[in-house]
Amino acid sequence: MTAQTGLGAVAVLLLGIAAYVSLFASPPDAFQGEYVRIMYAHVPNAWVAYLAFAITFAASVLYLWKRRPAYDHLAHSATELGVLFTGLALLTGSIWGRPVWGTWWTWDARLVTTAMLFLIYTTALLVRGLSDDPLRGARLAAVIGIVGFLDVPIIHYSVVWFRTLHQPASIAPGSLKIAPPMLLALMLSLLAFTVLFMYLLRLRTSLARLEAGGEMR
Amino acid sequence: MRDVTFVLPPHSVLLVVGPNASGKTTLLRLLATALRPTDGGGSVFGHDLVRDADAVRVLTAFVGTSAGAYDLLTVRENLAFAAAMRGRPDAPVATWLDRVGLTPVADDPVRVLSSGMKRRLALAQAWLAAPRLLLLDEPYGGLDRDGVALVAEMTEDTTRRGGSVVIATHEWERVMNEADAVLALAAGQPVEVGPVAQLTAADLAAAAGGRR
Amino acid sequence: MNGFLRAAAVARKDLRVEWRGRQTITATGMVALLMILLLGFVVGSEPARAAAILWVAMGFAAVLGIPRVTQGEVDQQALEILLLYPGSREHLFWGKCAALTVMLSALLVALLVLLGVLFGVDVWDHGGALVGVGVLGIVGLSVIGTLLAALVLHVRGRELLMPLLLLPLALPVVLGCVRLTEAILTGTAAGLWPAVLVSFDVVSVLVCPILFEVVMDEV
Repeated sequence: MTAQTGLGAVAVLLLGIAAYVSLFASPPDAFQGEYVRIMYAHVPNAWVAYLAFAITFAASVLYLWKRRPAYDHLAHSATELGVLFTGLALLTGSIWGRPVWGTWWTWDARLVTTAMLFLIYTTALLVRGLSDDPLRGARLAAVIGIVGFLDVPIIHYSVVWFRTLHQPASIAPGSLKIAPPMLLALMLSLLAFTVLFMYLLRLRTSLARLEAGGEMR
Repeated sequence: MRDVTFVLPPHSVLLVVGPNASGKTTLLRLLATALRPTDGGGSVFGHDLVRDADAVRVLTAFVGTSAGAYDLLTVRENLAFAAAMRGRPDAPVATWLDRVGLTPVADDPVRVLSSGMKRRLALAQAWLAAPRLLLLDEPYGGLDRDGVALVAEMTEDTTRRGGSVVIATHEWERVMNEADAVLALAAGQPVEVGPVAQLTAADLAAAAGGRR
Repeated sequence: MNGFLRAAAVARKDLRVEWRGRQTITATGMVALLMILLLGFVVGSEPARAAAILWVAMGFAAVLGIPRVTQGEVDQQALEILLLYPGSREHLFWGKCAALTVMLSALLVALLVLLGVLFGVDVWDHGGALVGVGVLGIVGLSVIGTLLAALVLHVRGRELLMPLLLLPLALPVVLGCVRLTEAILTGTAAGLWPAVLVSFDVVSVLVCPILFEVVMDEV
């Protein structure tokens, strides 16, 4: 059994445990009822998405500095997974928001920031694919990976202040008090999704390496 | 391009010939640092083409097939811009205009110039840099007899200052007598043509892939 | 010093070409005018909406106008010559940024006058402050815009990619300028917005020129 398959097995095992704790072993929330269980999938999705974009940023800097294709494969893979998990985070958030907030979408700062990230990194993938030369595509995608990540905090705070300076935050998401079984469910889910992400990232990176195989090493 | 190796001493003119798509322009663009070699490399007056590209650019002037001039600016403004970008904002633009015979149209926008006049402007933009390596890609297109003489004068001026000139052209007859060396290319690879002194017009014509 | 002169030469050249052709300013001006008329009519021309409509229009004008200045080099087949001049390519970057800042600032002044007429807002008394805030935003737009314009230059579908990149990345500029313009017009506190614009400008100014060299590497 290779390390790769081992990691995948651990991810599946952790996901199973996290799913059991999230769905059966933890109590329903006093306000949100059973819907709180969506959070155990939503929060890890968002976390993994941000983790992916942080990896994209680091790999992009390293690629432009060292110009080693391995860093580009990592950046490319992390961007793709980041876009995937951002999409899942938006989707699960929307499904959760409908019963709890009474709306599919709200102009909450986190939502808007996440939507902007989704656009920026999707475009990074587009730029890579539409470049006339793969090396140029790698360089341009790295530039977007750097600018996009540095911009995230500014986008986030500008969106937060844009809403809150004129209307009080209508919803304060995330209650501060969290019961230990629920915390356990959340932590387990975070761990499981992180391991799953690592597994997928390794898989995708080796695929990128194989794809590049002939033309650049 | 593959297997092209040459050393060009100062004070010399290299004529590059070959049929279309043989790699003449690619070679010039490599020397001008517009392209980066995927493998191999080279140096210009001791400066590496890749690691020391900026030093190469200081010494090199490249005249491509397009003038690279701005249609809406006048000839004078274009030349002054080239001088400023070369770090010589106080270059005597009027003198250069005179030298290449553009004084009568100095204040016309480039848009209304004929292709021959545009080519003279391109030559002037390169010449005012006083390059030590002058790269000319098909320099004769659209030029009249005076214009061709101008290219010869520019070539001679460059070699006299200790520089080298690389001319890629189909119209090799025009420079055959000035060339110190000939590089014949076919499909990106060099072709043997022998020492320049013994070359006949027929040899060159065959190497250039021309008729006759 | 030499670098400053080179950047100034690029800016002067771009502005001169623009002055003779008036292509960028006409295109951006028409789009901005159209947006203001449409939004003013559709969502209503109450003075309270003026700031938001102005900066949405500016945002779209920037998307359209910024790439033209760099695209012009390609259309004139001048880009290769420009990149082969010795010296840092940051000088090109700053020259283009400066030219764009001047053009977009001129557009802003025209749009402010238009807003004063169409929306009945008092732009006349606060002209200096409104333009000052606007230029703070325009600098940010120009800096990141110049980088993005160079970035999409050799990519298929660049007309689509430019808005997809510029609008999300420059969102803080648009939001900040909306709120600051509102604050000036209504005389309320500016809050943290000047800090948002300044930090956006600082980060862009530090990062974009370096990345511009990466983007312009190998023509």
